[in-house]
Amino acid sequence: MPIKTWELDPNFKNEILNEQGGEHLTACYQCSTCTLGCPITELVPSYNPRKIIQMSLLGMRTEVLSNPDLWICAICQTCTARCPQNVVVGDVLAVIRRLAEKAEEAGEIKIESPRPLFETAFLHTVEKYGRLYDIGLAMEYYPKREGSFVAGQKAMMNDYMGFGMRMFLKGKMGPLGGHGLFKGLLASKIKQRDVMEKIFKWVEEKEK
Amino acid sequence: MSVEKLAYLPGCPSEATALEQHMSTEAVFEKLGVELVEVEEWNCCGAAEAEDPNLVYALNARNLAIAEKDNLDIMTPCSICYYNLARTNNALKANEELRAEIKAIDPSLEYNGTITPKHVLDVLMNDIGPEEIKSKLVKKVELKVAPYYGCYLGRPPETAFDDPDDPVLMDQLIELIGGENVPFSAMKTKCCGGPLMMTRGDLAFEMARKILERAKNAGADCIALACPLCGMMLDAKQPDVEKALNVKFEMPIVYITQLLGLALGIDSKKLGLQKNVVDTKKILEKVV
Repeated sequence: MPIKTWELDPNFKNEILNEQGGEHLTACYQCSTCTLGCPITELVPSYNPRKIIQMSLLGMRTEVLSNPDLWICAICQTCTARCPQNVVVGDVLAVIRRLAEKAEEAGEIKIESPRPLFETAFLHTVEKYGRLYDIGLAMEYYPKREGSFVAGQKAMMNDYMGFGMRMFLKGKMGPLGGHGLFKGLLASKIKQRDVMEKIFKWVEEKEK
Repeated sequence: MSVEKLAYLPGCPSEATALEQHMSTEAVFEKLGVELVEVEEWNCCGAAEAEDPNLVYALNARNLAIAEKDNLDIMTPCSICYYNLARTNNALKANEELRAEIKAIDPSLEYNGTITPKHVLDVLMNDIGPEEIKSKLVKKVELKVAPYYGCYLGRPPETAFDDPDDPVLMDQLIELIGGENVPFSAMKTKCCGGPLMMTRGDLAFEMARKILERAKNAGADCIALACPLCGMMLDAKQPDVEKALNVKFEMPIVYITQLLGLALGIDSKKLGLQKNVVDTKKILEKVV
């Protein structure tokens, strides 16, 4: 990829350095240990955390933030554990992903991955009930990902029909386990849901 | 014995997909004489989906605060809950300002950093200890086991309680109960793909395939694990992995607490072994 020096944003590294988890970005000396041990690089050879860090240091803001590879990190922490410079690579990537979401909100880039939709749907159930609600998560995520309710239901059935049946037959969801008629099917709600609301509001305020 | 009572955080999967992990954890600790007090009205830790550290800290401060009120260390069988509890504990202990800020959200989030978060495997091997466990064993689990640790027990370094590349605690426990560990070091701490299951299923399936395949080739009777997300990926989704990649594993996946429970003489039903998706009957035949 050619580097257009006139398009570089020298402040981009500071955006990362100022975020929790991004503080050690500049300690990277490009040894590539993060990338050599990465289980995703093993499957997708173009996936390269070292390169993402170097591009960030150079100020290639748009290229970094719109890189679809950001969203295939499995958050397994191998890069973080092996980095000899304690860059906390996994956290740096998480910071970059959050900056990408903000940039998308600001209309600067388009994220080519359903992962933000998935994470948002996951966290919506936590905000609403205090606990993860798998079915609620899927019901929000799939239609949004597929662009319509019907297409969403179809994709969900395709991915989770078999899984759902297994959960039902094993009595982990539904009545067969003898744990109640709606075991795992309805949301498990905590009483202090107002505290969840307050937490999410606080985080939102802090992000501004 | 150094530990008699612990606060217990089952985690969200305990209510459905990892019900058998929850059942076996409770049964094993009852047998070992350690009282578990379920964290009242516990909430989700944010898992890997909460990427904002502040959100993680606030969510986990609540669970920590509830356990702290009872002056009990908090234990969880879920690797991700453990990671989030432990890093929240580290952050809040080190940062008084952050503690105050989180407390200001709601008084129920007041956490003073006086307790320690623990993972089940850590409590079993480091707090209760092999000697104490050994004294209570009544059966031998004569299985060839692939010990699978996944990500968050040895990584990242700030919260790890076992070696990041060659962890040993589960290996030791398996040997203690009469099992044999098959050569599995290349896969022990490799990610199962779980976090990508709903967004890049193709990658997740490949990652799971590598682990299942290695266990099968090593001649394992089962894979033992300690994380409900790994359980979902390797057990509950195993038929999907097989179908998508046109392979056959039929590899039983069990939680380490289920295996230990068998060696402690606990009834297999109580350990939820009928709830694992891949059939576990063959395993039971080797408990003597």
